[in-house]
Amino acid sequence: MGIIIRTKDLCKYYGKGDAIKAVDGLNLEVEEGETFGLLGPNGAGKTTTVRMLNCIIKPSRGDAWVSGHDILKEPDEVKRVTGLLAESPGLYEKLSAYEFLEFMAALYDVPGEIVPERVDDLLQLFNLKERRDHLLEGYSRGMKQKVLLAAALIHDPAVLFLDEPTSTLDPRAALMVKDLIKELADQAGKTIFICSHILPIVEELCDRIGIIDQGRLIALGTVDEIVSQSGKDTLEDAFMDITGGVEEKELLAWRRRGAEEA
Amino acid sequence: MLAFYVWFAAPAIVDSVFDDAMAFLLSQGAIAGVQVLLLVVFIWFLFFPVSLSLKDVETNQLQIFLSAPVKPSDLLLGEFVGVMPFYGIAIALLAGFFTALLIPIGIGVVQTAIIILVFILVFFSALWIGTVVAGVLRAKLGGSERGRDIGKAMGFLLALPVVGIMYAVMGGALETITESGAVGALEFLSIFPSSWGASLIVEFAANPGSIGAVWMETFMNLGGLVIFLLASLWLGTELAKRTYTLETAGFGFSKAGSDGIAYRTLRSAMGGGPFATIIVSFMKDYGRRLQNISRLGYIIGIMVLINVFLVRPDEPFGILIISQALFGLLAVFVVGEVTVRGKPALFIYRKAPRGIKRLIGARLIHGWMITVTTAVILLAIQLMLLPEIELLPFLGYLGFAFAVSAGFVVTALGFFLVMPAFSDKSGEFMIATIGVAMIASMAFVALVIALGEFWAMVAHLCLIWSLGGILLLIGASRIRQLE
Repeated sequence: MGIIIRTKDLCKYYGKGDAIKAVDGLNLEVEEGETFGLLGPNGAGKTTTVRMLNCIIKPSRGDAWVSGHDILKEPDEVKRVTGLLAESPGLYEKLSAYEFLEFMAALYDVPGEIVPERVDDLLQLFNLKERRDHLLEGYSRGMKQKVLLAAALIHDPAVLFLDEPTSTLDPRAALMVKDLIKELADQAGKTIFICSHILPIVEELCDRIGIIDQGRLIALGTVDEIVSQSGKDTLEDAFMDITGGVEEKELLAWRRRGAEEA
Repeated sequence: MLAFYVWFAAPAIVDSVFDDAMAFLLSQGAIAGVQVLLLVVFIWFLFFPVSLSLKDVETNQLQIFLSAPVKPSDLLLGEFVGVMPFYGIAIALLAGFFTALLIPIGIGVVQTAIIILVFILVFFSALWIGTVVAGVLRAKLGGSERGRDIGKAMGFLLALPVVGIMYAVMGGALETITESGAVGALEFLSIFPSSWGASLIVEFAANPGSIGAVWMETFMNLGGLVIFLLASLWLGTELAKRTYTLETAGFGFSKAGSDGIAYRTLRSAMGGGPFATIIVSFMKDYGRRLQNISRLGYIIGIMVLINVFLVRPDEPFGILIISQALFGLLAVFVVGEVTVRGKPALFIYRKAPRGIKRLIGARLIHGWMITVTTAVILLAIQLMLLPEIELLPFLGYLGFAFAVSAGFVVTALGFFLVMPAFSDKSGEFMIATIGVAMIASMAFVALVIALGEFWAMVAHLCLIWSLGGILLLIGASRIRQLE
């Protein structure tokens, strides 16, 4: 097993004088076939990292390699070997699920002769075959998420980036996606890079996790390693401890003043 | 500013047109003239809130409002009262013009007050009806993507009647009605409350300072207007209680059929590979949006209205000049699709290998197929309506329309890539629209004046294509760096 994703001092700055450090000196290595989870509070830099690794945006500094391809010098090669389920994805609502997947297959140059079968197989897998001709505008958010996941898989990429893959899914669909991720990792040998707020999913699926906050990687290791390093009992407590959460006693402070005045 | 208008500007404006305006108000055609004028404004007050609301049909805000302990009718009433000051300015401007016109001939304070009241009653009735209709449509259509699409389509087409009346007035329909004293037209107009107000204004002009002479007409017309406003308020409130809700009438799913002969032919013509699939996907997404169809209908409608009401050029070059701006608008409407689905839709291409190149290529071909075809057909129909046109010039003009509308597509696409418009209500969309329309019409007219017809056509083609090419190059680089 080699390293399939490697970042070296990866940075993304915004604003005047690079005041906003979305990602700040990220050094990370993900092994081939590994399921890696990137955790972090809102605005920590998870989505920015994923976008840089998929060559959607360029880093301000540093570099990264995916499947041996430099994200700065070989963006097309990187794009071919990666699939992305974005957090806020674009969708052509006036296309049917079949048509949208056919369109995505065309964008990734999937050979025409295998497209119909692959699209049908993916629709079957996600339990959407009966509604394959319905326009996406009529789909629920969960169903759209399934279509987008199928779109990320359409060119059978070696590395799969999933940004909040189950956040809009019902429990049954979430379970199916979890099982699929396991299968893709165990049976198909895919490398999976998950960004999520949902700690149990990351805990269950990921071989290793990294915690990112304010653009910097502040913890890295297996779930057990991170929990034991923080001296807490659960990943949730460890996460709160590492990233800094609201103290329980402060939670109802907002109503105290009004109650006292009354 | 309003006070300045009422006390200084309006009298000054009126002073300059006083003799003509008074001659008109005291003529036989005055009633019809004022009726048509007020009807135009009445319809504008009624349609504008509806059209505005339909362009952005959303129920998220409504959900917040309806979850609050407020009656739906009170919500609409609040919305109505909220926009009143803005529309009130328009009413003050219009009422100010008429009072400034009539005060010098001796109408008293009471008549002046009644005229102002007439304007308030007529136009606030229209505004209230418009607000209710807009609210109900918003609630009914905003719940689904399909409903929102229908709303946007309606919003566009609703503008056509207003534009039609405006063009008719500009084209002299007012004079035709007033001069002919068309009885049928007068009877038809009299059913609108705006006409009751118009009668009153004309009566006051004929009997300045003498309210007693026209007390019956005053009582009837003013009473009718008050009753109309109160009835509108009551009916609107009742309607809001029943229909201003988020209740869904039913769930329906739109289905895509299998590819018809047109898509299959297009796919084959484009080589049948991945690029052909991308173009066919664009065509499907475009064609299934009613909003896009309504925009095409809008352009065709405007073209028809111009020809019927405004101006009927009797030689081909005149037709070409008039058509140019509309061809530009058409290109903007078609090509604007490239960014209006938002950044996430653009990121699909940024993620795909050679995605931006394919996006630009496919959007150009898609834009050309719709814009060029429509432009050439529209021009051909107009040219064929000319009494005598020879084949060679006919083909020449069509060739020019082909090349210039294709150039507009390149320019419009360049504009949208340089300044992506992530919504069709954004400032960027407006800038692209105005920019392309100006280049299409003003620049062409300037070239005609400077160079004459033939060389203006050549120069315009060079201008459009070179500008489009430069914008496209800059835009392609810009869109690759968009974050």
